[in-house]
Formats: sequence, structure tokens, C-alpha cells
Amino acid sequence: MSIEKIKISEALHDLMPPEYQDMVEDATYGNQDRGWKDIGESKELIEQHSLCAGCPESIAFRYILASLPAPENTVFVGSTGCTSLVFPMVAVHNIHSLFGNQNAVASGLKRALKIRFPDVEKDVVVLAGDGATVDIGLDYTMQSWFRGEKFTTICFDNELYANTGGQESGLMQKGFVAKMAPVGKLFDKVRLPEIARESGCHYVACLTVSKPNRVEKVLKNAILVAREFGPTYIQLYTPCILEIGKQSMEGLDEMKDSEAIGGRFVFKEYMTDEVKEFLKQKDAEEKDRKKAAKLAAKEAAKA
Amino acid sequence: MSDYKVVPGPEAFLPPAAAMMGIELPDPGEGHIEGRIVPEDEAIEHAARKFLGAKVPTIFPGPQILWHWNESAAIKAACVREMAEILPARLIPMADYRPKYPKINPEVEINPNHPNLTIWHNKIDVCLFVGVHCHQANLALKIIRGGTSCYTMAACGMSGHEDACLTIRDVHEDTLRKLTACIKKLKAEGVKSQAEPFEQFRFSREDRKPAYLT
Amino acid sequence: MNKPVDVQNRVLKGYSNVQIGEKSKYKDTQTYTDPNFLFNEAEVTPAFMTGSEVIKEAIRRANIDLSVAYPITPQSEAAALIGELYAEGYMGDYFRGENEFGVMSQCAGAAFGGARVFTTTAGPGTLRAFENFPMWAGSRLPIQVCVTMRGVNSPLSIQPDTLEMFFLLETGMLIWHAETAQDLFDFILKGFIVAEMPDVHLPIAVCCDGFFVTHTKDTVALPDEKYVLPPYDPYKSPVVCMDMESAPVRMMRDPFVMKSNYISYMTQASWQLEVRAAIERSRKYTKALIGDLIECENIDREIIMIGSGTAVSQAREAIRLLGLDGIPVGLVKIKTLRPFPHEEIAEALKDAKKIFVPEFNVAGYLAREIKAVLPNNDRVVAGPHVAGGMTMPSEVIADEVKKALGMKTSGMTARG
Ligand SMILES: Cc1ncc(C[n+]2csc(CCOP(=O)(O)OP(=O)(O)O)c2C)c(N)n1
Ligand code: SF4
Ligand SMILES: [Mg+2]
Repeated sequence: MSIEKIKISEALHDLMPPEYQDMVEDATYGNQDRGWKDIGESKELIEQHSLCAGCPESIAFRYILASLPAPENTVFVGSTGCTSLVFPMVAVHNIHSLFGNQNAVASGLKRALKIRFPDVEKDVVVLAGDGATVDIGLDYTMQSWFRGEKFTTICFDNELYANTGGQESGLMQKGFVAKMAPVGKLFDKVRLPEIARESGCHYVACLTVSKPNRVEKVLKNAILVAREFGPTYIQLYTPCILEIGKQSMEGLDEMKDSEAIGGRFVFKEYMTDEVKEFLKQKDAEEKDRKKAAKLAAKEAAKA
Repeated sequence: MSDYKVVPGPEAFLPPAAAMMGIELPDPGEGHIEGRIVPEDEAIEHAARKFLGAKVPTIFPGPQILWHWNESAAIKAACVREMAEILPARLIPMADYRPKYPKINPEVEINPNHPNLTIWHNKIDVCLFVGVHCHQANLALKIIRGGTSCYTMAACGMSGHEDACLTIRDVHEDTLRKLTACIKKLKAEGVKSQAEPFEQFRFSREDRKPAYLT
Repeated sequence: MNKPVDVQNRVLKGYSNVQIGEKSKYKDTQTYTDPNFLFNEAEVTPAFMTGSEVIKEAIRRANIDLSVAYPITPQSEAAALIGELYAEGYMGDYFRGENEFGVMSQCAGAAFGGARVFTTTAGPGTLRAFENFPMWAGSRLPIQVCVTMRGVNSPLSIQPDTLEMFFLLETGMLIWHAETAQDLFDFILKGFIVAEMPDVHLPIAVCCDGFFVTHTKDTVALPDEKYVLPPYDPYKSPVVCMDMESAPVRMMRDPFVMKSNYISYMTQASWQLEVRAAIERSRKYTKALIGDLIECENIDREIIMIGSGTAVSQAREAIRLLGLDGIPVGLVKIKTLRPFPHEEIAEALKDAKKIFVPEFNVAGYLAREIKAVLPNNDRVVAGPHVAGGMTMPSEVIADEVKKALGMKTSGMTARG
């Protein structure tokens, strides 16, 4: 939303639930420096949700919402799954229509917003589970990449169908015993990051959500690259602690184990040479901007 | 011609949509009272009388005027506030369309997915929807008619609502001012508000619980 | 009805658009034109063209923002012609989707984002896309799909067959059935206006019989191409547009209402009723634009034929043949299946002694729909029907009547 539209009518301000008053006063819409460090310092764009206690999807959502470069001009597309229990609580417009069609919906949405707002960068971000991204929706995921659609796809990879009770998914590890995989999964975890790279994604990253600064950087990269070049893909390991039998405190350890050397989620990042150059330049610009801002603040303090 | 009447409920376990019972929406310049098409002015006067005769008259402002997302929205919000003060009527916002049950506090909010909770909790006998998106307003109006005895009115910026007991359409600032003026006129003529004494809640960021005006 | 709708004086009431009179955003040779003028007063000239070309001419004047295409006979030509319009600058975007499920989801995405969207499909494409249609309706997306109907069963057939319209009936969409090229042109343009009215705001399927309408040439009266429909206004929607430019900002389209309790069941049920109510609300706008939902000829006669689409054209010729044999027969043409003109049909058929329902599908579903709204429905003969691309010669329809009257038939039925 053009940032100036996020305000409460003065005459009815005192009727609005305080979380909305906070959102208008203290959320970081429009703040160029927003990032995961704002969590705890500012009003988050997410209200209480009904994920299981300790579910890593929850912290992943918080990092992502805190790190979006321009939430006031972002629209999410979700899909059926545990994530869709969170989206009604998110203070960024978002769409849920069917299970698995998220990248098709996002393709139409991104194009419509481009037509309607030719001069505004409206970011479209898909955020869906692994079942939605890789199994039922794989065609739409990949075809949107083939077409070069300019939006970011994020997959919350919990290696199973959580919302329907823990069934086998394409991103599940080989051999894992789950519902509908009664003798263990018989084929390998689908290599979606590599498929993404080969299918036209200009930037691909695969990681866990154990390190917030990394999640922030990857998300910002993906969105900036999507604006300029085309499709980008992020796969985040958000283990379903409920279905793999972990306690609510154990999600972080699970992620750390899996990203250690030899693990399934060792951080990887693919990008084209053009994108590498572009991101280098963006980083430099960002540094300069921050330096200038610091200087200006110092000057102002002096004066 | 349908002889169906859109009157307060409780109407049925699952009440029919009034449109399916043959109730047409008014054309521009018109309103409807319980399904009967009338000139807009007649509907406005009827709304004013209903409000003044109510024990717990309540206005439900929706997102389209709660948010200052365009200039007209902010002006309408001021018009609604004025109307509430003159009546007097309670103001209970419909700030969210996401289902909030069982977390809802029915004293201070209404939700299109379970509006009956707010009606029951506050014993609201006459209400006005204003600034609620038509789809969500219709959901709420149907549910209220299904399970409560509240008289519902809808001031709609678009085509009006046949699921309300009374509607006016194409509502803009002047329409709201007209309704307020009509309330004032009736009061001047000696029609007394039957509203029970109440305290309008007020929220601040500091105090997460409603602070009541004294 | 609490208020009779005036169909004589066909003026669309309650339509407003501040951009009327402005130059089109896409083609500056076109001007946003008040629908009342465009449909009632604008000068028209006759043109002789195929149904596919008619779809193109309607879309040229429809000011759509976006169209998504996927080939399937018999709509491929129309979809490709819309691509030509895109190349000429008549719309904001156009592309080929990966399959019809994808196409309809892409249409949904664009409509969620506030665009006017048009697409076409047929037969297996309609079924491949199916999960989207009730989603469109529940999400109040006023997308228009032109369905050029063809067979859907195995074995594969590309030939005309109207079974898919039956499947569409309870999706919550508006379903209109064009008989002729002129109907097709009018229904497409008028369909946008009705579907986008704030109190309707539903998807619409403008259906026509594949090949019979798409691939034959017919004369259509076309208004000048300098006229174009005013743009869709997404802020006159009954739901929030997903563009981050409209309140409220915390908004999911559409949140789940599936906690296991009475309250959420009631919300779901009321939501479904609201979609049905919106279909009902379309009646008055539809009548203002396309006239009565049924068209009647000689309904004072004891025998009446009733149908929709090209079955009506065939019935008309059958009635002429029967007339030559001294058998007077009346005719009722149904233009909209959703909303279903139940009162109109009951009134038109109240004195009929025998009612025939010719149909291009194996199920005879239209006869069932009609039986459901008539007293003494043993008057209804569910037929004749053909399927799978068979033609329905007028003689076969006439024979059905003669058979029922105990008369000698032409023997056409035996020809196979
Ligand atoms: C067409 C269709 N098929 C199946 C389902 C049932 N379904 C709902 S959520 C879900 C699994 C979601 O898995 P995933 O995308 O991995 O998300 P998670 O719940 O694990 O976060 C399934 C199979 C559905 N809603 N729609
Ligand atoms: S089921 Fe699994 S993925 Fe879903 S909320 Fe619970 S822990 Fe998270
Ligand atoms: Mg999963």
C-alpha cells in the first residue's frame, strides 16, 4: 500500500484494536533499513497464529515479514497447508485460493499489478509448503520459472504433508517412514534447488531458518533479483516438529544438525554471473547509503 | 410479487438469503424497509426512528471507513462519529474479516463470521452497518437474522443489502449527514432516544484493556 | 419479487463509471462508452463472420486487461485471435498458460489483483480447470470464460456436446447460453457489465455450441470499434482487492472458516448462500441488457418446444416443418441457465399440453431442470437428444412430436 494509506481514520481511531494502532505507529512499513533485528523493537506484521508451539514455520514467517524490502507494496500468494493458518494474521495482502496453484495465481497477479501500477514496484511473493510447491503444484511452479515470471517463490520445506497429518512428500528424505510411505520413502528427496537453477531461476538459495541474518539477506536478494531479472527461489527447512517427534524447543537443534557439514541443508546459493554483479553493486549502494545516513545523523546531532 | 419480509430473526437454523426469496435491491434514489422499496428519504427517516426507539442502538463501522485510505473515508468516519454522539449510539468496529472465534472480545468488536456473538453479548436491538465490504456485510446480516432478534440496517456505498431489514444505497458523506440531520430533527420534534445509558469504550495503545469514558 | 423489473424500457440502472468519455488506456482510438448508449443507441453495421471472429470483435470492444490462452478445439482460433488483439495493443497482457487448471488460476490471480480478465476453453479443458470455478465464485472474481462446448467423455471427441454446461451449473457462476453469433457478441460484452456489478460480482461462463457457432459464418450487427466498455473498477468490488492499495491491510482472500464448530459451519453456509444470492441479483441487470431471460414465440399453442443454444435453432426449423403438416407448435428459448428463469418458464408453459426439450447431450439435463420448475411435469418429453457431435436434424425433432401424437414419422430416425 502506498504507505500513506496505512493510517486510521482520526474520528474512529480510539475504536481500533490496539494492535492496529501499534501497527500504524510502530510497524516498519516504508523503512528502508527494516530487517530481522526489528523483531522485538517494532510492531511485527503478524498476529498470534495457530501453528504448533515451537514450529519453526513461525519464526521463519517472522523473519520473512521483518525482512521484506517493501511490505507496503507486497502481495503474498499462499497455498493450503500449515502456512495458510498463519496468513489471515499477516498485515500484508495475501491470497489463498487452491492447493498447489500458487505459482499460477502469482503469475496472473504479478502481471495484473504491473498493468495497473506501471510505475510502482509491486512485489509478489509465493510462500507455500513442499507438498504444494513440489508435488501437486510442480507444474505451475516450474512453468512460472520457464516463463520467467518476475516473482519470488519460497518453499517452507518440512519434508512432509504436515497439515493433513504427516504423509510422504517429494521433498521427504529417502527411507523415511511416514503415512503413505509405510515401508519408507522409496525415492530420493527431489532436488528442487538444482531444478530451479536449470529452469530459469536467476537466484536460488536453500537453507534452514536457524540464522536470521542469512534468511534476511537471502530474502532481500531474491526479491531484488526478481524485480530486475525474473524468477527466484528460496527453500527453507522448517522441520515439522510434531510429525518428526520433536519437542517444541528442539526445532533449532534439528535445523542446526541438518545444516552441518554433510547435512541435507548445508547452505547453498546459485546465481547467474549477471546477478552476482548486480548484487555486488546493490550491496555497495546499500553500504554507501547507510554510511551517508550515519554521517547525516552525526551532522544533525552536531547542529 | 414476493410477500417475503426481511424482518428481525431468529428466522431459521440456516436462514435463506433474501435475494433467493425474491427481494430485489433498490435502484438509485431508493431504499428498502423490510423488503418494501421506498424513496431514499423515507428509508432514512425510518432508520432515524428505529435508532431513536432502540434500547441498545449500535453502529458497526467497517474497514472502509475505519482506515483513512482515501479522503472520503476519513470524512465518512467523522460523519459516523457525529451520528453516534447525537443519537447516542454505541460504536463497535468490524476491524477484521478473519474469523476470530473463540478469541473474539464481543464487547468491543464484531466479526462477519460470528457477528451474533456481539449482538447477544451487548443485547443490541438495532444496528447499522457502514463501511463494511458488501460480501462480509451480507454474511454478517444473514447470520444475525438467523439467530438474533436484532433489527439490522445497512448504509451501503454501493447497491445496498437485501439481507438487512432496512437499507440505503450509494451512501456518501451527504447521505450520512442527512441521516444525522433527520435524527436531530426528530429529536427537536420531541422524539426521545430510548437508549439505555452506556459508556463508549475507548482504546489506547498504552492500555490494552478498553478504557471507558466517564 | 418485491419490485417488478421493467424489461420494456431496457435501461441499466445503478451503473456508474467516472471514466466514461475518456480515451481508452490501451487504444486511444477508443472511448470508454456508457453501456446504455453502447448497447441501445450506438449505430451498428452488419458483418459476416465466424463465431471465433465474433469473439474477437467482442473482446476488441471489451477493454479487458488480460487474457490467458490454451489451445483446445473448438476455441483455439478465438484464443489465438485474442492474441492478435494483444499484439495490436488492445489489452495489457496475454500469454499461453501451461494447461487449463493453470490458466484459470492465472485468471484468478489477475482478477484478485483488480484486472478485467477473459479466457476461453472447451470440453476437456473445462473439466481440467474445474476446481477453479467454484473458487472463482466463492472469491467473487468477475472473470469471464467463453466456453465453446464440445464432448468430454472418453472416447475423445472434439464435436459439439453440451454436457459440460451441466457440470458448470452449480459452481456459483453465471451461466449464459448463446444461440447465435449475435447472441455470442452481445452476451460477451453485456456479460462483463452484469458480472462486475458490485452486488453481483461473480464469474460468468458465456457458453456456445462448439463448431455450430464457432466455425460457421453468420451475420452480426457490430457497433463501431471506436466504442469500448468502461474499465473495471476494482474498488467497487464487494471484497477487498489484493493490491495493497485498499483497506484493510491485514487481509487474506479468503481466510479459512473450518474450525469444527457450529459457528464456522454457519459462516461457510452463509457464504455459499451469498454466492447464490448474487446470482439472483444478476437478474435485473441481465434483463436490462439482454431482455427477458427467455424468448417466447406462440406460447399459446398446446405443444411447445423449449431449449437453449443451437438446439433452439433446430427446433425453430422443426416447428416450421410441423407447421407444414398442420401441427402448430410454440417455442421458448432459454438464454440464461444461471440464473435459471424458473418463474418465466413456469408462466410460459402454464397452458402447454406437451413440452419437448431437444438437447445436444446424453443426459437430458435441461429437461430435468425444466421438470423441476413445472407443475404436471409429465407434460415434459425429455428429448430428442443426441450426443458426441451428432447433428440433430429438424426432422428428428419433428418426428419426436409426431411420435408423441401417434402420427406417422418421416423415418429420419431410422437413418442413423
Ligand atoms: C486438491 C487438493 N488435494 C488435497 C488437498 C489436501 N491437502 C491440504 S493441505 C495438504 C498438504 C500440505 O502439505 P505442504 O504443502 O507440504 O504444507 P505443510 O502443511 O506441510 O506446511 C493436502 C494434501 C487439498 N486441500 N486440495
Ligand atoms: S503440524 Fe508441523 S508444520 Fe504444522 S504447525 Fe505443527 S509443527 Fe508446524
Ligand atoms: Mg510440508
